[in-house]
Amino acid sequence: MAVICICRGSRSGGQAMAERLAATLGYPILGREVIQQAAEQLGVSAATLEAKMSDRPTVWSRFSSMRRAYVVAVQAALAEQAASGNLVYHGLAGGLLLRGLPALMCVRLIAPLQSRTKVVMDEFGMDVAEAERYIRHLDESRARWVKVMYGEDIMDPALYDLVLNLETMSVEGTCAVAARTAEQPEFTLTDAVRDRLDDFRLSSRVRLAMAGDPDLRSLELEADAHGGVAVITGHVPLRTGGRTGNRIHQVVRSVPGVHEVRMKVDWFDPYP
Amino acid sequence: MARAPAKDRLVAIITISRGTMSGGRAVAECLADRLGHPSLAREILRAAAARLGASEEVLQTKFETTPGLWARLSREREKYVMAVRTALLDACLEGSIVYHGLAGQFLLRGLPGVLRVRLIAPLEIRVRGLMDAHHRMGRRAAEDFIRNVDQDRRRWVKLTYGEDVEDPSLYDLTVNLRTLSPESACAAIAEAAAQPTYMVTDEVRDVWTAEAEACHRRLDEVTAGRADRWP
Repeated sequence: MAVICICRGSRSGGQAMAERLAATLGYPILGREVIQQAAEQLGVSAATLEAKMSDRPTVWSRFSSMRRAYVVAVQAALAEQAASGNLVYHGLAGGLLLRGLPALMCVRLIAPLQSRTKVVMDEFGMDVAEAERYIRHLDESRARWVKVMYGEDIMDPALYDLVLNLETMSVEGTCAVAARTAEQPEFTLTDAVRDRLDDFRLSSRVRLAMAGDPDLRSLELEADAHGGVAVITGHVPLRTGGRTGNRIHQVVRSVPGVHEVRMKVDWFDPYP
Repeated sequence: MARAPAKDRLVAIITISRGTMSGGRAVAECLADRLGHPSLAREILRAAAARLGASEEVLQTKFETTPGLWARLSREREKYVMAVRTALLDACLEGSIVYHGLAGQFLLRGLPGVLRVRLIAPLEIRVRGLMDAHHRMGRRAAEDFIRNVDQDRRRWVKLTYGEDVEDPSLYDLTVNLRTLSPESACAAIAEAAAQPTYMVTDEVRDVWTAEAEACHRRLDEVTAGRADRWP
């Protein structure tokens, strides 16, 4: 039992592998649909959200409140699906969006540029040079997105539990190895792990509630929930005479499952 | 000379590449137990050293440290690499093995029936392992030691094969021991080795035999100084 995130370059055969793995294990599978679910939560179009999740962000836009809200919404949609402890996710940055989740298994699939180019040529009728450019552009955009948002190199094998090479291994082979790994004790769904999955889901719901609130959206707030107690941290300007604190409390308390709010916010004077 | 292969082997040769103190030995031994094959590392170096009439230490140094300018230009390095490759191929022809010695992924490069595995582990785990093994070693010294060994190996591979030893595309499977225990890593690798892609058929054994014979011939030429090209 595991939440399995499959990270791969465009046209690497990752979707076929994910579908086979989900069928083998009897797990639900999730890919781009998570974007649709998150978009509904935020009241924006799926196309807008998808663009924000895959286009190269600038360093400044990393800090924009809207981009943070988009990421939080996708993370929350993913956390809802992952809470059962069984999931195969093959969308963008699963391992990073679910970082800290117990029973999380991150798999990276790699495939030679040549075979990926062939897929694009067949799909879009491009010539070799055009297809290679297309793949490199997508790879660079994703790598840049991960670098800017998380400060990580998407190709770094240290981010994954397994890296499987489709140059020599078949899709069936990679699926068998991933399935066998998911059976190992590190991914066993114990009661303690279930509690942590519930906590992760609640933390994500709280973060989404704060990111979706017009008064709190611009603040950099974090939430960590344990057994219904939500601990809110962040660095917040003290300029509204306590109203911001009341608003945080009110928004967080309204999230189903939260029965206590603990404020550990670092207040600072923006005009000392 | 390479011996005729046994006919009852079906499981792949497994090469394990890892940084020092990454837990590679434990995984190799677990795999050897599970598959019933010998786990080899220094034994190959010893066989190659005996073939060349050199000491094992000299051979190990040649494989772990960056050669000087003169050594880079001489044929000496080719001789040592060829001797180890020959010894490794001979061992493969005697029966399936788990090889966790140096440069296995390069020594058996391009050959069928070989599963190339890379093991990685966070520096913190490796440092702790080294400090536990050498009680008098401090954290700083352990970190420096591991970084220096990694750097030497990276340079050696770059110089000898023109590759980055940490590039995952050089391996069929990379396993991270940050989350996975050696036993779990062992289960994943055994599953990969059981895939039809790595099955050792008669055709695969024929390729190995031909390669081993070519290696023996080449080694004879190099040691006799008859090689007609620079490495």
